Amino acid sequence: MRLPGWASFALSSLLFSSLLTGAVRPRYGGTLTVELSNAWTTLDPNSFKTALSVPIAETLVRVGSHGEIEPVLVVAWQHDPDFRRWRFSLRPRVTFHDGEALTAATAAPPLLAALKQTYSDVSIEAGGQAIVVHSDHAMPELLAELALPRAAVFRKSDTNALIGTGPFRVTTWDPGRRLTLAAFDNYWGGRPYLDSVEIEFGSGHGRADLFDIPVGPARRILPESLATWSSAPRALLAITSTNADPVLLQALALLIDRVPILNVLAQHKGEVAFGLLPQWLSGYAFLFQSTPDVMHAKQLVSSLRLGPTSLSYPADDLFLRSVAERIALNARDAGITIQPTSAGNGHLRLMEWPLESTDAANELGRIAEQLGASDRARQLDAAKPETLYQVERSLLDDHRIIPLIHVRETYGIAPRVHFQSPTSDPFTLHLEDAWVQP
Amino acid sequence: MGTTMNFRTKVFLSITATVILAVWIVAAVVSTLVSQSFERRDAQRTAALVSQLQREFERRGSDVARRVEAVANSDSVQRLAVNLVGPAGGQLDTSQYFAAAQTLAQEQSLDFLELVGPDTAIISSAEWPARFGYKEDWLAQPVDWKAQGVFLREEHLADGLALGLITVRTIAPSDKTLYVVGGQQVDSDFLASLPAIEGVRLELIRDFDMPQGLAGALVADVRREPRELKRVTDATSITAIPLEGRDKQLLAILLVENSRAELLSLKRYIQETAAAVGGAGVLLGLMLSFWTASRVTRPLRDLASSVREVALGKWDTRANVGSSDEVGQLARDFNGMTEQLVEQRDRMIQAERVAAWRELARRLAHELKNPLFPLQITIENLQRARAASPEQFDEVFRESTSTLLAELDHLKTIVGRFSDFAKMPAPQLERVDVNQMAREVVHLFEAQLQAPGRPRVETKLQLAAEVGEVLADPDQLRRALRNLVLNALDAMPQGGTLTIRTARHDNKVALEVSDTGEGLTPEEVDRLFTPYYTTKQHGTGLGLAIVQSVVSDHKGTITVHSEPGQGATFRIELKANA
Repeated sequence: MRLPGWASFALSSLLFSSLLTGAVRPRYGGTLTVELSNAWTTLDPNSFKTALSVPIAETLVRVGSHGEIEPVLVVAWQHDPDFRRWRFSLRPRVTFHDGEALTAATAAPPLLAALKQTYSDVSIEAGGQAIVVHSDHAMPELLAELALPRAAVFRKSDTNALIGTGPFRVTTWDPGRRLTLAAFDNYWGGRPYLDSVEIEFGSGHGRADLFDIPVGPARRILPESLATWSSAPRALLAITSTNADPVLLQALALLIDRVPILNVLAQHKGEVAFGLLPQWLSGYAFLFQSTPDVMHAKQLVSSLRLGPTSLSYPADDLFLRSVAERIALNARDAGITIQPTSAGNGHLRLMEWPLESTDAANELGRIAEQLGASDRARQLDAAKPETLYQVERSLLDDHRIIPLIHVRETYGIAPRVHFQSPTSDPFTLHLEDAWVQP
Repeated sequence: MGTTMNFRTKVFLSITATVILAVWIVAAVVSTLVSQSFERRDAQRTAALVSQLQREFERRGSDVARRVEAVANSDSVQRLAVNLVGPAGGQLDTSQYFAAAQTLAQEQSLDFLELVGPDTAIISSAEWPARFGYKEDWLAQPVDWKAQGVFLREEHLADGLALGLITVRTIAPSDKTLYVVGGQQVDSDFLASLPAIEGVRLELIRDFDMPQGLAGALVADVRREPRELKRVTDATSITAIPLEGRDKQLLAILLVENSRAELLSLKRYIQETAAAVGGAGVLLGLMLSFWTASRVTRPLRDLASSVREVALGKWDTRANVGSSDEVGQLARDFNGMTEQLVEQRDRMIQAERVAAWRELARRLAHELKNPLFPLQITIENLQRARAASPEQFDEVFRESTSTLLAELDHLKTIVGRFSDFAKMPAPQLERVDVNQMAREVVHLFEAQLQAPGRPRVETKLQLAAEVGEVLADPDQLRRALRNLVLNALDAMPQGGTLTIRTARHDNKVALEVSDTGEGLTPEEVDRLFTPYYTTKQHGTGLGLAIVQSVVSDHKGTITVHSEPGQGATFRIELKANA
């Protein structure tokens, strides 16, 4: 007998929890094989936007599972009252994979490049194990910025190989096809359990120890013994437009039935989205919740002289294609002709917005920037949670974006694979916590 | 006057026309029979084609039914049906079956497949996956779907409506029913998948307003009255088959366009061959008719030539008797006729000679008898005077010898006239002024006409100035004119009017001498120029004969026009000297 989706999810989580409660003691050694459906073409930390963490390079700090900032490569930091000057103390005895010690001088260049993307006038002073960050403008979100993957500290070798300070080092790298990692014995946090990790991209056989289960209607038959792990919703599926009539988007937001999209097309891997940030991240997403109102949508578009409207989706994404077709079907109920297209120049765009961090303000600000609403981004104040709701509300009222669902990432995990504490971070699955039974 | 068509041409044209008519009739009959045969064959081919299509539709329908049945009986669908009525019942999350229809449709090669729940909401759709959750209300009808079989139905697709051969199967483990709706799309690909028939084009019309021309008219007719209709042109025959749905609504029209190019090509080939054979036949007929006409008419032409020869006086001409048929008999008859004519001519000549000699003898006897009688009387008077009155004998002798001499002179004159007629010389031609000659002859007779006691004869000269000259022997022509004047004067013993006219007509000169005498009867006119024939009491009958002889020697003609009581007019025509 096959269980419903929610029951399978609950059972797999329960099984997974039992694996980490100490029923089996962790052991060192072994190789973990991984299959990922999306092919990586670069190891740039900024491009890692999956729930599976591949810890080659590390950031100075990170956002914990409850939103708190945790130190990684630093052990302490201070800032002046107006957040213009920050001083960080680097963790001692941290070395890169090639044995070079982590110093302020080696950490400063990649940090400066990352921070320049947000703070144009930022400057960094490096001295010994201390890094001082200056700016003429206040940088209250500096820690969140430093927690982003793009702010990872790394170097590149003469052969352009990535050299970080993380628990795994790169041994072979065939872009788009294969990545092999080896345990970094001198990792400052202690050697990881695994000896090595072999990652294959785009194979999709499901025979590896760990593999991702892409969201979408294509149902993969999984062995009964296989455990799964699903992240917290960490990508927003939404419709955006910069040139369509806002009334059209308002009508579409009213008539699109999100529940079937989530339950059927996304196979329950996520949550219906009426807001930009997921409920777990913002805490107020339920305030935007509504039900489809086709009649109201019809009234809205009745005064419009609408021609066929194209809705573009990524050409190779079958899930987004099925969502686009469903939206077109819903739109037809209101007399709106939507033509799904894989060409990239549609009036409307269906796209996924992956969350990069667990910092709500940072993520909302990033969405606002991408929507061309920088002014709203500047209104965000992490210290004032109400500004998040106000900014998100105003962004939604602009009718430039229609949130549809927030999508989880799901991974299949072989029975021999165990994680030290998989549920401690619902946002990320840490490879350094994994170990395998022989 | 039009050109007279000769007999051979007539025969040739008649045979030719007959041949052409026969060939045309044969060609027309052949063409008609070929056309009728081809039309029958085309009709049979179209009927067979339509029947084949209908069988193919039925076969495809059976195939669809079999495949949908296989889907309904598949494990996954049966499991879904059981789950629907299981503990979860109506709360069953059917999302996991979202892609089931696509997989099953792919397995069974079905274009349409929908798994529809008891509430008629689509659980999974192969043709339009995004349509899950939508209702198929038509399935709620109380229908025995299995008995319904396969039917045509318009199915919703993302890009519009599509026509499909649809069948429905139901799975009802309890009071809840799972519907399996499957089928095959009927479109251009479907038509292309049908067994190809050379020269046949199939077209599925779903937009009834789209076809133009003949097809458009046919579609319009079928829309008005949905039934199979056919239209035929030279190039194609189009059969329209209405495709109706379960509720008899017209969903589409299948146009079966059957090219008649092959038939037309074959028909054209036969007709061209017939035309070539006909042309050759006509040509052969022409040659044959020419040969036949020549062969058939040759004896007739020979006969006609013989007739012409006979007409020209060659009485001994004989027609060639080459056959024993009617023409040969005609030639034999002709030869017999000519032989009889020759015999009759000879007898006539002989008779005429006898008559002429008799007439001559009579005339000579008559002419000679008159002078001889005075000679006899005179000599008897001399004898009686010698015997009775010797004293007066001298005087009687003198008077008698005078009379004898006069009568002998008369006899000499008569003999001279006969002698002159007998030895008419050949004319010595020279240029003669006709008017001048007419004046001279009239002048010659003036003294005689004005002699006292003679009945008055008025002379009129009506001479045309443009008459000119002729080439003639002046003495002979003058003699002829003089004879005509004498003849005219003899015809007017009581007096009258003598008229001499000259005229010119084209290249001929006419000379007329008219009198106002008693005229002549037609019989007299006919014999007027016969030698020794005369209507006068005293005459040799040679005057007009001499005139005719002179005119004839000058290649001229002489005619006479006379009626009793109206006088007579003699007209001589000679060739003018240009």
